Amino acid sequence: MSDQTYATPVPQSSPPQRDYSAFDADLTGQAFNFQLFARLLRWLRPYRLTVAFSLLFILLAAGLAVMLPVVTGLVVIDNILRPESVSGEEPDFGMTELTYLISDVSGYTPLIAACILYLAMVTAQAGIMYLHRITLASSVLKALRDLRVDLFSTLEDKPSSFYDRVAVGRVMTRVTNDIESLNELLTGFGMLVGEFVPFFVALFLMGAISPSLTLIVLFAIPIAAVATYFFRMAMRDIFRLIRNSVSALNQYLQENLIGIQVVQLSGREGMNEEHYGRLNHDNRRFEFQAINYETLYHSFNESLASIAIGAIIWFGGGQVVQDEITLGAMILFIQLITMMIMPIVGLGEQFNVLYRAMASGERIFQAIDWDERLKEPEHPVELPPRLRGEIELRNVHFGYNKGEPVLKDVSFNIRPGEKLAIVGPTGSGKSTIIRLLARFYDFDDDMIFLDGIDLNQIRSRDLRRRIGVVLQDFHIFSGTVRDNIMLNNPDISPQQAEQAARTVNADGFIRQLADGYDTHLAERGQNLSQGQRQLLAFARVLAADPEILVLDEATASIDTATELVIQDALHKLTEGRSSIIIAHRLQTIQECDRILVLHHGVVREFGTHEELIKKQGIYYTLHELQFQDGAIAAELAGADTEEADSPVEQQADDDDDGTPPSMREPDSF
Amino acid sequence: MPNGAHRQAQSAQYAGTAPRGKQGSFRDLGHLRRLFPYIRHYRGPLVITIIGFFLIRFFDGTVPLFIKSAVDSITEGEPSLMLPALGIFAVVTCRYLLFVFSRRLMRRISIALSYDLRKRLYRHVQKQGPSFFNKYSTGDIMSRSINDINLVRRLVAFAWVTIMTFVFSVSIALIFMYSLSPSLTLFVIPPLPVVALVAFKMSRTLFPYVREQQIAMGQVTSYVQENLNGIRTIQAMSQEEVEIQRFSTVSTEYADLVFRATRFRAMMNVVMPLMTTALPVIIIGYGGSLVISGEISVGTFTAFFSYLLMLTGPVRMIGMTLSNLTTGAAGTARLFEVLDYEPEIRDQPKANVPASIEGHLQIKGLSYSYPGANRSALENISIDIEAGETIAFLGRVGCGKSTILKSLVRLIDTPEGTVLLDGHDIRDYPLGRLRQDVTLILQDPFLFSDTLRLNVTYDDPSRMDEPIWTATDAASLSASIREFPMQLATIVGERGITLSGGQKQRATLARGLIRKAAVLAMDDCFSSVDTETEEEILAGLKRLRKGKTTLLISHRVSTARHADRIFIIDGGRIVESGSHAELLRKGGYYADLEAIQSNQDQDRQRKAKLLHDLVE
Repeated sequence: MSDQTYATPVPQSSPPQRDYSAFDADLTGQAFNFQLFARLLRWLRPYRLTVAFSLLFILLAAGLAVMLPVVTGLVVIDNILRPESVSGEEPDFGMTELTYLISDVSGYTPLIAACILYLAMVTAQAGIMYLHRITLASSVLKALRDLRVDLFSTLEDKPSSFYDRVAVGRVMTRVTNDIESLNELLTGFGMLVGEFVPFFVALFLMGAISPSLTLIVLFAIPIAAVATYFFRMAMRDIFRLIRNSVSALNQYLQENLIGIQVVQLSGREGMNEEHYGRLNHDNRRFEFQAINYETLYHSFNESLASIAIGAIIWFGGGQVVQDEITLGAMILFIQLITMMIMPIVGLGEQFNVLYRAMASGERIFQAIDWDERLKEPEHPVELPPRLRGEIELRNVHFGYNKGEPVLKDVSFNIRPGEKLAIVGPTGSGKSTIIRLLARFYDFDDDMIFLDGIDLNQIRSRDLRRRIGVVLQDFHIFSGTVRDNIMLNNPDISPQQAEQAARTVNADGFIRQLADGYDTHLAERGQNLSQGQRQLLAFARVLAADPEILVLDEATASIDTATELVIQDALHKLTEGRSSIIIAHRLQTIQECDRILVLHHGVVREFGTHEELIKKQGIYYTLHELQFQDGAIAAELAGADTEEADSPVEQQADDDDDGTPPSMREPDSF
Repeated sequence: MPNGAHRQAQSAQYAGTAPRGKQGSFRDLGHLRRLFPYIRHYRGPLVITIIGFFLIRFFDGTVPLFIKSAVDSITEGEPSLMLPALGIFAVVTCRYLLFVFSRRLMRRISIALSYDLRKRLYRHVQKQGPSFFNKYSTGDIMSRSINDINLVRRLVAFAWVTIMTFVFSVSIALIFMYSLSPSLTLFVIPPLPVVALVAFKMSRTLFPYVREQQIAMGQVTSYVQENLNGIRTIQAMSQEEVEIQRFSTVSTEYADLVFRATRFRAMMNVVMPLMTTALPVIIIGYGGSLVISGEISVGTFTAFFSYLLMLTGPVRMIGMTLSNLTTGAAGTARLFEVLDYEPEIRDQPKANVPASIEGHLQIKGLSYSYPGANRSALENISIDIEAGETIAFLGRVGCGKSTILKSLVRLIDTPEGTVLLDGHDIRDYPLGRLRQDVTLILQDPFLFSDTLRLNVTYDDPSRMDEPIWTATDAASLSASIREFPMQLATIVGERGITLSGGQKQRATLARGLIRKAAVLAMDDCFSSVDTETEEEILAGLKRLRKGKTTLLISHRVSTARHADRIFIIDGGRIVESGSHAELLRKGGYYADLEAIQSNQDQDRQRKAKLLHDLVE
């Protein structure tokens, strides 16, 4: 690059500043968000035929459900039991004719015929309801499965800058609990439809029989609505208080369990019990408050139907006496009223589900809409089947945050097959170089080249297939040792995996495990030592057989024997591969062809061991120090509390503290 | 019960951390009697709620009577409607008040019960020793304290009430029906037990479906959690596509299982209404013929339909109630499994122990093996430590040196007469006092997410500033604290700033030093501290601990050489012992270690200076 770049520093290549706090905020779904439903429809669309059938079934079932009281009220009571009172005007949807038809055909009395009709309708209704339920469940479950997988796919593509800021637990609950809430919502909605369709059919029927009596029934609706509204208002704050108190309770318990030995050794049991007791007491107080409102409200709802029945007797009875309606019609009203009140009460109960689901939906779509992803080339360059393995960094400027440059004008190159060691104190930007080469972060064009091709012109997936990255922290996925080497990559055969393990000296200890390669490893794999994890990491990357190797050497202190094994493995691993190694050990550095000294994001020295020793600069000093203890170097190099090299410090902490992120989620009431 | 469903989703979340044992079966119901001692406490209110719920059902039973009287008055041509209507209003009002009262009382009992259980569990867990915590992980205990207590609460608040409702509704409805028409009632009764039996059987078949579904949810959860925790590795290895494929399979499996459970539930919803249909059909057919023959009135006929709701409602609920009952019973079983665990360390002090401690420790022939381990951690260890001595333990990882220190404060339970403090068995001292006089600083630097002040003064938060600073000075932490804007009020851990490993270690050191105990035991407390600072701390300790007993574990000869006597432990036995000079002369393990490390230590010190110059 020209000198001009030197004169005017290129603008910081840093991602746009984003507000990640949205991921930590507790979305409450206050507003009724209809857009959410519209978006959900997109996932339901592939199953629209099933959904349509489901709706058809519920309409049929609802119609039949309403016809049952018609049979008892208008047919049995009016026509059969009190034939003297029949006016013949009540709309009975042909039920009377049907009953007499059955009676004529079968020869049974009309009463038995009514029984047969009743039984037939119940059977039909139950059968249709069954069809409704399974069609609904099938479509909703499949749609949500698709949504879940889609959400998961977008999360897989989020770059490191995203996971640096957003706690895994926060995102994880979106894929699990939030989708479950939507399931509750959609099936709950199906249930509500199942109750509201009969509601309207019944209303229509009642209106046809006696409009004035129907109005009285309708009067119950606003009352229930107002009660629900006040209940919700009263409960909102209490629910929040309960949620907070429960999560305080759980956090305290969890911390005490983790630090139980400190608690016991400090003799704090009594004091802590008191504190826990206070938290427990707070929780009980809020729960008590909540049930005060809750019982008032629910009992009211339960009484609503009986009040309406009283009103029907009062007014309806008068109408019967005046021959405006039949007795059967009045009894029909009494039987229908339960069917009418239920969905209204149900709606009130569904509100909680609805609001929670609304918040869940918001969280899900927030994650889906989060458009942070790696820049991918519009016209990607296809990499040749065989790379030469030449890497060049040209005036690389980079920072995770605006105004905080981590790499300043870094330039160097690696020749095909060459091994380069990068050394420097913590915070010098070593790890950042690895993260850029692995394309974990976006950076400006024309800064990093692979075989002369700008990295930004290569699809990140293509690139990652060719560049093998060994991170300091070896992540164990629960599964067998073999699974962990293969990582479910279909291109790697079990034989290759074992061959790779043999090459990097991991075979020996693996065979000594209980089930050899089939030994099950737990996620936090405490059953493996640091050295063993390092060897497994080597095996994993070797199995994938990349052409270029980028390796962040583990800093943890390992005993001398293990170190020898690892050194040997490293030697075999880098054989014939262009390699960049962030080295902490003298031996590792001596393995390399050239050495790059990085300090505060600037290349201070670059050359072979002999050249740098001759120079008597930083490397010379570091060499004198023998690179024996990375930890001390880190401690002395400043950065006591914060590792400037890492974009967000807590990341490593999050991985290590053994706390499942889910634990931090407040237990919802 | 949407709340219940949500709780299930919540507990599914924990399925990843602590595998849930079982959903519950009828065999578990026996465990419910364990709750009696807790419920007995509330027997007064409980009796009141039972009476309350009985009255509620009684009032419910009168409503059809009012309907009957209204209907009959119409059919008889002498309409009297006001009385039944007012009657219903009056009954509804009473019922409402009674219902609010009883339901509230019942829920209060359930909340109070879960409060009691939580309190009990907390107290119980705090007393436990290592074998307990080996058996039950943090996630496991958390899950018991959250999910299982919730299950018990739901059991008391809902299942119990439903059972009462069931008994009262059915019996009251039948009594009223019988009073109206004995013959029609007798016809209605036979189908009821059949319906109940089918409901019972079907819900029993449902259990495995629900269990499967929960396990599948746990799989989805742990899959996502693990994947996202290792997302960098997956991306670096370019395995996203494979992972999405696999997740799709896991999700489909889950959806299939949920569908199977839903299909079975839908099936139940077909069978149950069909079963109960026998009742209205009997009323229409037989009741109708009774009306025609004039044996019963149309009002009675109508009233029977109303009583039908009182009968079939609870009978159909029986399945759900039983499932609540059995899951609650399984929860109770899990809860009491923990509550029944006897703390291995018993605090049974004897009166004859001295009031003040000199610090003379004797370990006599101590052997110990951890529960479940097949080899012993300590074998016949005998050490006599004079008051005021400084002792160092060295040895490989897992050689048993930490176990020796733990035995001194009864973090492990030692056999009688093996560990003596000032001539008395440590088991004779009150546990709290023992741990105060013998302070052990653990290897793992654990800090609570609280202020530094409260962490350092953890044993006694009422301490003034002066002893705090003295302790942090001794631990070489004061300089770091002064750099924090909030000083001692700095919150550390999850909710505050993250300390470096060395800082954490020095903070835990200060937490131990502040207690000025007669015996101080430090378990590898300098591993993350650089040699220079360590020397500084050790020099300070020499002054502070003059005349007091000090024990320490180290990997560094440079640390151990400060001790009066050094013990080399290997495989749970003492293999070498003596002063630094004696051990060097002996030319054993210690001498070898010294040879390797002294060279390195010099380099490290030189290195430290050089690096220091470089960075400045």
